[in-house]
Amino acid sequence: MTDNNQQPSGALTKATRSPGFWVLAWRRFRRRKLSMLALAVVMCLSGIAVFSPMIAGTKPIVCKYKGNLYFPCLAYFNADWENPIFHKDRFRKRYPRNLREKDPESWAIYPLVFQDPYRPVRDGEWQDKNGDGEWVDRPGNPYHGGLPSKLNFFGTYKRGVDVFASMVHGTRIALLVGFVSTGIAAFIGITLGAIAGYMGGAIDMVISRIIELVMCIPGIVLILALIAVIDKINIWIMMAILGLTSWTGMARLTRAEFLKLKQSEFVAAAQSIGAGPLRIMFRHILPNALAPVMVPIVFGIAAAIKVEAGLSLLGFGAPPPNPSWGTVLNAGTSNYTEWWQIVFPGIAIFITILAYNLIGEGVQEATDPRLADPKD
Amino acid sequence: MAGYLIRRILLGLLTLLLITMVVYALIRFMPGSPMDTDPAMMNPDKMPSAEDLERIKKAYGLDKPVYEAYWIWLSNLASGDMGISYNEKKPVTDVIESRVWATLLLTVPSLVIAYLLAIPIGLWSTIRSGKLDERIAGVSLYMLYAIPSFIAALFLQLLFAVKLSGTAWELPLMGMHHSDYDEMGVIAQTWDLLQHMLLPVICFTYVSLAYYSRFIKANMEEVIRQDYIRTARAKGLGQMRIILHHAFRNTLIPFVTLLGLSLPSLLGGAIILEQVFNWPGMGQLYFRSIGTRDYPVIMGLTLSLSVLTLLGQLFADILYAFVDPRIAYK
Repeated sequence: MTDNNQQPSGALTKATRSPGFWVLAWRRFRRRKLSMLALAVVMCLSGIAVFSPMIAGTKPIVCKYKGNLYFPCLAYFNADWENPIFHKDRFRKRYPRNLREKDPESWAIYPLVFQDPYRPVRDGEWQDKNGDGEWVDRPGNPYHGGLPSKLNFFGTYKRGVDVFASMVHGTRIALLVGFVSTGIAAFIGITLGAIAGYMGGAIDMVISRIIELVMCIPGIVLILALIAVIDKINIWIMMAILGLTSWTGMARLTRAEFLKLKQSEFVAAAQSIGAGPLRIMFRHILPNALAPVMVPIVFGIAAAIKVEAGLSLLGFGAPPPNPSWGTVLNAGTSNYTEWWQIVFPGIAIFITILAYNLIGEGVQEATDPRLADPKD
Repeated sequence: MAGYLIRRILLGLLTLLLITMVVYALIRFMPGSPMDTDPAMMNPDKMPSAEDLERIKKAYGLDKPVYEAYWIWLSNLASGDMGISYNEKKPVTDVIESRVWATLLLTVPSLVIAYLLAIPIGLWSTIRSGKLDERIAGVSLYMLYAIPSFIAALFLQLLFAVKLSGTAWELPLMGMHHSDYDEMGVIAQTWDLLQHMLLPVICFTYVSLAYYSRFIKANMEEVIRQDYIRTARAKGLGQMRIILHHAFRNTLIPFVTLLGLSLPSLLGGAIILEQVFNWPGMGQLYFRSIGTRDYPVIMGLTLSLSVLTLLGQLFADILYAFVDPRIAYK
């Protein structure tokens, strides 16, 4: 403490501020090499997800057309972000030729890999320069049985759609599903758990019964029933359903933490100066109860990715156009001889889940007070 | 103990009532009805007339409002009648019974194998904790745990049914029997069934094996630091006796919880795997009955899964009192 007035000599000695809980946890986390590697993998996947339209696609990253600059690749994030001028000028998603024919002055920078996650690339859509400096048409994707090749790194599926492009764009869906559905689950679980634990009594009784009820219905049953109830499913509804069915564990943990912490002195102090229940719950107790809940949140992300892939594999996922990893797997199960439709997405799902599990493990060890290093 | 049991069972019945209510409401609000998903009724030449539809609706009890239909279902259930499957025109109990053996054929062996292997692996890794061989085993179990079982299933199918087809290692891709199963002798039938079972059982086992053995090790690590273990060591007891008698016995409580929690997975644990392997069990039945809106079967399956879940929890709580004499239920 800097305002220590018990110092007899009057000379103020500045004590260094002791690091907070999360700083210490991060230090401990950083020491685990595997968890850090896993974190790097997830960062890398996030990078692929964010830059997916720039890695694989048939729409230019940036192009100059009739005197204006456009970014057609953003259409992969949201179809409405494609400038209507390309629709009006009848581009029909074929950029290279149309740009050349309709505006000879135009130029464009294309994604690294000229392949589309939604449709097969056809003959002559793209031209390469051959040894003599002449432009020659690049062949389109094979209609079926497209083995991995120089043009289709991971082969093709579904009448010639490129697996690599689908998987690059599928990264976006996989990571989004993980974050959004676990976010929803964490919000519901922490809120209900906090109310039950802090309020106690009849409210606790009711919420505990609800938690028990949802826990008893097998997850997949609830998910399938909800999917069946909703007529038009899309990837966002899917995430909401996954979130709505996976919050019970977090609610139970939060409730237990709140039951314990509401007995502590700092809560009594806050109550005595007249803080309201909402303020005490979310401002005073929650930050102290967050560490144990972090672990199921990270594992929940892995579980959500797994369930989404499983549902897509069974054909219960969001309908196409939806280049999710599970959709490619689903195509693979209709013909086992086309192994690349199973092997590549399978490995991607495995690596992602493993990475999240390793991070979860790291968080668990880093936030566990029993394993704290006394040197810190 | 008796009072506690009665209270728990009453509470369990209440939970069951709520679950069936929620699920019944959910499935009745699904768009589509058993009538418009039956392929026989899709035939444009034989479109059922409006009167026919009314008659069928009446026969299925779908002309009544949801709450009334639920009440009828519930009162029939009280007399042991779960209704008649729309698809198979047989009582739901018979439909479920004809499927349950196929599922148990996968889940029982795999749970038994998982427990039989997990306990020695867990104990061994406690003894060898931190040594190179234990680290390698631990990391490989961890990797195994991260592979979703349906992906392992697809990979194994690729390897044994496609890549190795034509060799001695070939295994069937899916299904439960070979097409000429009925003409085989008993020994050939058993061999055929075993071959079909092998891949699903492996996929169903390895996840639980990895989970259980890590679970046992984690609990053992906690116990092994206790003072009474040091005392036992100081007394000069052998390693085996300390691990089995002093340490493992004290990890039985979390272990029993795990046993209880694995009870529902006997019926519902392999829903996705059954679909991947086209195994004619409960999971496949569940998917099919949701697809065709076979309400009585969906309700019957949900009910049996929930009963099993609740029983598992109750079973674990009762076993606590046996493994830990300090716990007494009032």
